[in-house]
Amino acid sequence: MHRIVVDAMGGDHAPDEIVRGAAEASLSLPGAEIILVGDAKALGRLLPSMRHDGARVRVENAASYVDMDEKPGEALAAKPDASILVAAKLVAAGEGDALVSAGNTGASVLACAKQWKLLPGVKKAALAAVYPTELRRGEKDDPFSLILDVGATVEATAEDLVGFAVMGSAYAKLVSSNKRPRVALLSNGTEPNKGPASIVGAHQSLLAAADINFIGNIEGLDIPRGVADVVVTAGFTGNVVLKMLEGVSETVVRLARYAHKERLAWRLGLIALSSAIDQLKSITDWQQYGGAPLLGFAHPFIKAHGRSNARAVTNAIKVAHKALSGDLCGAIAKTMNELGAT
Amino acid sequence: MARRSLFERVARLSTLPVRVGERIGLFDHVPPGLPDGAPPPKHTFRWDLDKTYLRTEFDSFADLAKSAFETAADKSAFPGSPALLRSLRQDGHRICIVSGSPTQMRQVLTAKLALDGVEFDEFVLKNNLKNILRGRFRSMRAQIPYKLPAMLRSRIGATAPAETLFGDDAEADAIIYCLYADICAGRVSLQDLERVLEASRAYDDDAAIVLDFARRVPKGDAVRRMFIHLDRKSPSLPFRRFGRRLVPVFNYFQAALVLYADGVLTARQVIFVALEMLDSKQYELGHLATSLQDMMRRGRMTREDALRLVADATEAAASGALAERSDLPPFETMAEAFRARVRSLGNAEPPAWDPEEPLDYVRLVDEEHEHRRTRRKAGLSGAG
Repeated sequence: MHRIVVDAMGGDHAPDEIVRGAAEASLSLPGAEIILVGDAKALGRLLPSMRHDGARVRVENAASYVDMDEKPGEALAAKPDASILVAAKLVAAGEGDALVSAGNTGASVLACAKQWKLLPGVKKAALAAVYPTELRRGEKDDPFSLILDVGATVEATAEDLVGFAVMGSAYAKLVSSNKRPRVALLSNGTEPNKGPASIVGAHQSLLAAADINFIGNIEGLDIPRGVADVVVTAGFTGNVVLKMLEGVSETVVRLARYAHKERLAWRLGLIALSSAIDQLKSITDWQQYGGAPLLGFAHPFIKAHGRSNARAVTNAIKVAHKALSGDLCGAIAKTMNELGAT
Repeated sequence: MARRSLFERVARLSTLPVRVGERIGLFDHVPPGLPDGAPPPKHTFRWDLDKTYLRTEFDSFADLAKSAFETAADKSAFPGSPALLRSLRQDGHRICIVSGSPTQMRQVLTAKLALDGVEFDEFVLKNNLKNILRGRFRSMRAQIPYKLPAMLRSRIGATAPAETLFGDDAEADAIIYCLYADICAGRVSLQDLERVLEASRAYDDDAAIVLDFARRVPKGDAVRRMFIHLDRKSPSLPFRRFGRRLVPVFNYFQAALVLYADGVLTARQVIFVALEMLDSKQYELGHLATSLQDMMRRGRMTREDALRLVADATEAAASGALAERSDLPPFETMAEAFRARVRSLGNAEPPAWDPEEPLDYVRLVDEEHEHRRTRRKAGLSGAG
């Protein structure tokens, strides 16, 4: 039985949507136990109004929680009984196997970093994010590619980047059912000698890594095209790239809204395209993906989007369950060990 | 093989119509009540079968057909329910089964109960063949006009000062059981009952029989507890309107916990129910501990009762309740898992109970019909 700890108080729609998602997961994942961490009184009031399996959803009381806009370090120092910290401690103590949170990203990463150990051979953990692309991948025609690190740490050495590549590849193999995910380094040119020393060094190491399907360097414009299934970069660059991609998407939506209001002809054009837009939305629906992982620790952590609704939370729990069933952490540790030996 | 005498052969031939009639479900098997001079039971336990004791699917025609042709060995009981029923079989206790399954299933269901080591005093099934022959197609689906008189007649035949009822969330068990409890307690007037029967579309003569039984049934606030097995994993909140006496349970460990708190079961018997659930491989120790926590969160078990159970179970284990169970962790480890679940809740108090109002059964029956219509439209059905 896999025990998945869920921070019930984290997220824009917490605790209602988080509890609803966990309740649904208790029915669709009979091999799992869901541990909801948060205000026991509030959770105890919510659960009976939802379909769930009472033998498979337990509650762990946490007296406080970190708000979405709080500064992570200060908040965790001031609130030792915050739900994310209690949740990470439960996993560290062996009372849970994986963690899911839709709460404050910084606080989640920091809580795991404080409580959990890194896998043998891993020097730095990496936070991944998924991004919809033109090309699809894996047995399930997954439209999402994985980008890591998007902000767990600021800088990364060549060795760290190789570690990120191993972790991203292992995750894509398992979650996207992609037998040989294409791994690329993000740089300012495709040539092996382009970019800072860390990128050049990582390039050379990855060429020698037999377990990694390394396709070389890619540029920023290749990310939305889906040239690579796993895009490896340092946290600072990854975070800038991710925010820019999100900004572009939002701007496109705003422009479409503007067009809809501004001219009848444009509105008609959008209506004519509506079914195609709906299809695009369903393909790139982040809620179906559930969340993105924090990789490198001895336990899986899935970070769900802050705006997650129940469906997204259920899917994030399913991803965590899949990571446990497929022994993601074991697979990463094994490859890191093999790389270290060569 | 010994040759049968002529007398035996004639005797067998003369019972043939009875045996054929039994096989095709022609007979009603009206419970005979208590034999002359027999002491009345101290506690009666009434059980539904499908979705309460037996894992039965009725959601499609294929499910129905499968259920009809299953052998006793193919049928599967919910983990813990046979152990619970065996534990309830005590001196002065009476086990009565009222099921919506057709009378044609009697042999296979009786065999299943025998396989599980479950003994009973009454076993009433629905005579749908009679309903078809009389053109009473409404009666085939009707629950209240079938179960209510069966339970009232049973109580008239053998009256106990205490009763506990077991049903499920597939159909109207919660309504029927509360109505039965309130009729026995004298809280439902004959006029109100007549309106409920009208709302439940009972045929006039069936309604007259129910009213007659309601008039004759020995009065007393006998129904102490009603359990609704949440087979569909329905939200438990809507069941709060039926009051504290009705307890929705996800599994039979939860029912055993409440019966322990009620003083009906001992800690040792609770352990037997738990062991059967663990042996089924569908539950692990953590699930049972979480089930206990769920009951506490819903205000169905107090912290004191939970901790008392752990202490009593520790004593029972020390006196051999877990003898020869080398597959289990040491009892102290198990007890600690339960204590930890209690601690996990912190000081959170369960939601307070509102003052109980008399139930409006006509409205409840109308809602149930509407609910059933919606389910049918969605392609789901059910039978109790």
